[in-house]
Amino acid sequence: MKLSTALQNKRLGAIVAILIVVMLLPLGLSGVRFAFARREHMPDVFLEMPAPQFADCVRETDYMRFRHMDLLKQLREEFIRDGIRGNESLTKCRDCHTSRERFCNRCHEAASVVLDCFGCHYYPEPDSGAGSSDREVDHG
Amino acid sequence: MDRREFLKKSGAAIAGTSGALGLPLLSACDPNTARSDSPLAGRKWGMVIDLNSCQSDCTACLDACREENNVAFHDDKRWDIHWIRKVNIRNKESEDDVEKSVILLCNHCENPPCAQVCPVQATYKRADGIVVVDQHRCIGCRYCMVACPYNARFFNYKENEEWPNTAYPKRSHGVAESCHFCAHLLDEGKGPACVEACEAGALYFGDLNDPESEVSELVANAPVRRIRDDWGTEPKVYYLGL
Repeated sequence: MKLSTALQNKRLGAIVAILIVVMLLPLGLSGVRFAFARREHMPDVFLEMPAPQFADCVRETDYMRFRHMDLLKQLREEFIRDGIRGNESLTKCRDCHTSRERFCNRCHEAASVVLDCFGCHYYPEPDSGAGSSDREVDHG
Repeated sequence: MDRREFLKKSGAAIAGTSGALGLPLLSACDPNTARSDSPLAGRKWGMVIDLNSCQSDCTACLDACREENNVAFHDDKRWDIHWIRKVNIRNKESEDDVEKSVILLCNHCENPPCAQVCPVQATYKRADGIVVVDQHRCIGCRYCMVACPYNARFFNYKENEEWPNTAYPKRSHGVAESCHFCAHLLDEGKGPACVEACEAGALYFGDLNDPESEVSELVANAPVRRIRDDWGTEPKVYYLGL
């Protein structure tokens, strides 16, 4: 049977259409899931945020949560290459986010994104236990 | 249009388009990647080293540099990094065949070969003329070390365990580095660590674009020399008494 005659056959045409829809379904569904359920992909981790008096970060919390890496890269390029030294920098993060272990690492470990900032940049860990409990505020 | 004319015209058109497409590639090799509105623009930092006052047994500048910039020292010449180093040289052609102690560092060339060969533009020339390595971008190919005619580039074969100055980052394993005239201190309005540390007053540092500055006057009036001036790299490190 030729292809043209096969397509003229209504029943065969319907089967082919259903097959195409079934084949494309996972693709469409994954797109829908990606668009609406980005937050669900975030691992459920408890981050120790700074105390409420430090609640205003340099950008909104949502922006910082998803795009902090872009901001850091942009600041880095501006500073190193063009000498534009603003008030925002990686070393300024530690003014509020005192613990790298309890802030950066928890999420990065859960998302298994390797963090290599601190091989070269100094970000000291505070003395364990000292003054950390009163700053624990759950924003997550 | 006959056949010969057609071939001529189409050949010219192809050459023209390939030239136009090739230009961005050429400009990508330009080491001057800094933006023109950069706050660094306008200055041209340079150094004059007076070898007549430099003491051959003094290592103050070397130690200050190591301390300030966390330069790795493993006590093994295969891995040691020297942003400034001291060598003894002898000019066989001169009549007085005496050995001279010379300090060598990155010459911060106006035409830096290291920046031209860098495949990822990790090495580049800032708007104020300082040649810097962006270790975030460096892929550790070591092409700059091959290109540098002054052997001023070093590679981190091993990570530095010590971290004397935590205000300045150290380098991880697998990136190239060299002297950067303490650019982080210059941006804060201070001078390079080696110049501050030199008690003999052998190191002069300043803006070569400023005719009033000490270095400009020395370059204009004193018998200064640059290392291998004939190469056309246009170093910004000048020597007195070389």
